[in-house]
Amino acid sequence: MDILSSLMTGFATAAMPINLLLIVGGCFAGTLIGALPGLGPVNGVAILIPLTFAFGLDATSSMILLAAVYYGCMYGGRISAILLNIPGDEPAIMTTLDGYPMARKGQAADALAISGVASFIGATFATIGLTLFAPMLAKAAIYFGPADYFALYVMAFATIGGITGTDPRKTLLAALLGLMLGTVGLDPSTGVARYTFGSFNLYDGFDPIVALVGLFALSEILFFLEEKAKSGSLVPPGRVFPRLTRVKEGLGASARGSVIGFIAGILPGAGASLGAVMSYSFEKRISDKDGTFGTGDPRGVAAPEAGNNAASGGALIPMLTLGVPGSGTTAVMLAMLISLNIQPGPLLFQNSPDLVWGLVAALYLANLVLLILNLPLIGMFTRVLGLPVWGLMPLVVAISYLGVYAITHAAFDLMIMVGFGVLGFVLRKLEFSLVPVVLGLLLGMDMENNLRRALSISGGDFVVLVQSPIALVIYALTAAFLGLSLWLSRRPGAIPMPPED
Amino acid sequence: MTDRLSGLFFFLLATGYVWLSAGYTAGFGDPLGPAIFPRVVGIPAIILSLSLMIWPRHNATWAGRDGLLRQAAAVAILIGYALLLEPVGFVPTTFAAILGLALLMGAPPIKGLLTAALAAPGLYLLFDRAMGLPLPLLGTWFS
Repeated sequence: MDILSSLMTGFATAAMPINLLLIVGGCFAGTLIGALPGLGPVNGVAILIPLTFAFGLDATSSMILLAAVYYGCMYGGRISAILLNIPGDEPAIMTTLDGYPMARKGQAADALAISGVASFIGATFATIGLTLFAPMLAKAAIYFGPADYFALYVMAFATIGGITGTDPRKTLLAALLGLMLGTVGLDPSTGVARYTFGSFNLYDGFDPIVALVGLFALSEILFFLEEKAKSGSLVPPGRVFPRLTRVKEGLGASARGSVIGFIAGILPGAGASLGAVMSYSFEKRISDKDGTFGTGDPRGVAAPEAGNNAASGGALIPMLTLGVPGSGTTAVMLAMLISLNIQPGPLLFQNSPDLVWGLVAALYLANLVLLILNLPLIGMFTRVLGLPVWGLMPLVVAISYLGVYAITHAAFDLMIMVGFGVLGFVLRKLEFSLVPVVLGLLLGMDMENNLRRALSISGGDFVVLVQSPIALVIYALTAAFLGLSLWLSRRPGAIPMPPED
Repeated sequence: MTDRLSGLFFFLLATGYVWLSAGYTAGFGDPLGPAIFPRVVGIPAIILSLSLMIWPRHNATWAGRDGLLRQAAAVAILIGYALLLEPVGFVPTTFAAILGLALLMGAPPIKGLLTAALAAPGLYLLFDRAMGLPLPLLGTWFS
């Protein structure tokens, strides 16, 4: 009953007029961003973070806005996947498999409605799971010592991104690069300046938010310049109103996809892409009796959509309770929390109950808003997709600049942002995932502090790192994940995916 | 080939990183010092980059000559935007940056000009005036 009363307080916070406004606005903006080809939740949240700072929103309202944008992007990713066969983000790749064929058959409205309802089911399931399990995990996490946290960080770095099928060595290298970038600046415990090369501008290290906007938003611009902008052709709209019978066909698949997606979401590093892939393959295995999957089967639309939305909710659990994000977007949200001077982790539930429960309640409301927004606004979203890339992308650049400039007021940071943009582009070209870089930059300091704390307790003996049973379990899990990702990347026919979530 | 090059780059970076860490010593306080963590991070990076040089698996495909030129021009615009934002001001630099990027992305000139002419003051009004984010309308060169 403890949870129920906390949740009620949360609803009281989320229902404040400013927060309701942010939920509706965030859902709307998120759906739009998610629907734009190439821009996913990571970009969406990254572009908006500087703005939330600049507006001076309090921590709870900022997180509510970002969460609404996050859920909105996950919903929106399916729109361009179904209508244009261009996934708005990585998890939406699975939705193109059956969604686009449905649209080609003139059933675009059906497909959009099925995916909208499936997203709602998946996200609601995950939010309920978050309500129930996050406080439990937070209680357990109080027993974690410095060595256990160090193990947890190792697990986050070893597993994030590695599971999607790119070269695991590169994922690890990307994480190490992030950790290296994270050590730039004054060492917090001794005050020694590291890797600053005498520049005072670098004494505070790299601002993770400046790095994020550069890595994700600016690198995207360079990708768009590879070829002259192409325009996708819209499919015939067909029926305007979805048929209820078709929506019903996807319900079973949505329920199964939700459970699988949620589990995939909790695992650090797996995230929404794995949720979508696993839900789709599982559904195909149990339901595809006539070989209709891939030709426009409603269940093939429902399963991955439920899966990816459930995974996005699940990924919030390790982020809030352990401070270890389960996906790229939650890593970005973690950056936001840290920048607001709020330390995610087991004590978050005790120290900032308003924030946590306000956020959880906002997720319930955001889901409802998205369902209501999504069904009637489908026509409008398709029209925005018709806007030319040359009009949209330069605006993204201008908004990134004004957002970063408004929080730092330093041209130096804008230059750093451009540098990260070029770095992000080159790394993505070379198939290095960007998410581990961000994670390294973000978590490096905590990882280092925990390592040094553990080592100073033991007087410098590294054995302390593998003495606690919790740490040993975490290392065993890490080894299992690494084995799995190696196997997935070597398996013939592995689904090639862009490296971020 | 690109895997070998990126392996080499990371090898040089990580070696330099570990080598520099030797200079980071603290006389008192922390017995382990500020050099431990860079080594914990740098040494695995050296090993992984060597492995990438020896066993490359991927070769990146870059844009053609035109694409690379467009990308270089875009980077020049982005750097110019960052350097000139303060001296010239938000509205003129944003106008130029949006126009330049739109043209690079294949906008018809008139439409690109219109977009930039509407967006630059529009963003200023929206964010500075309506939402209260302080942005320099005109830069230090004009005041």
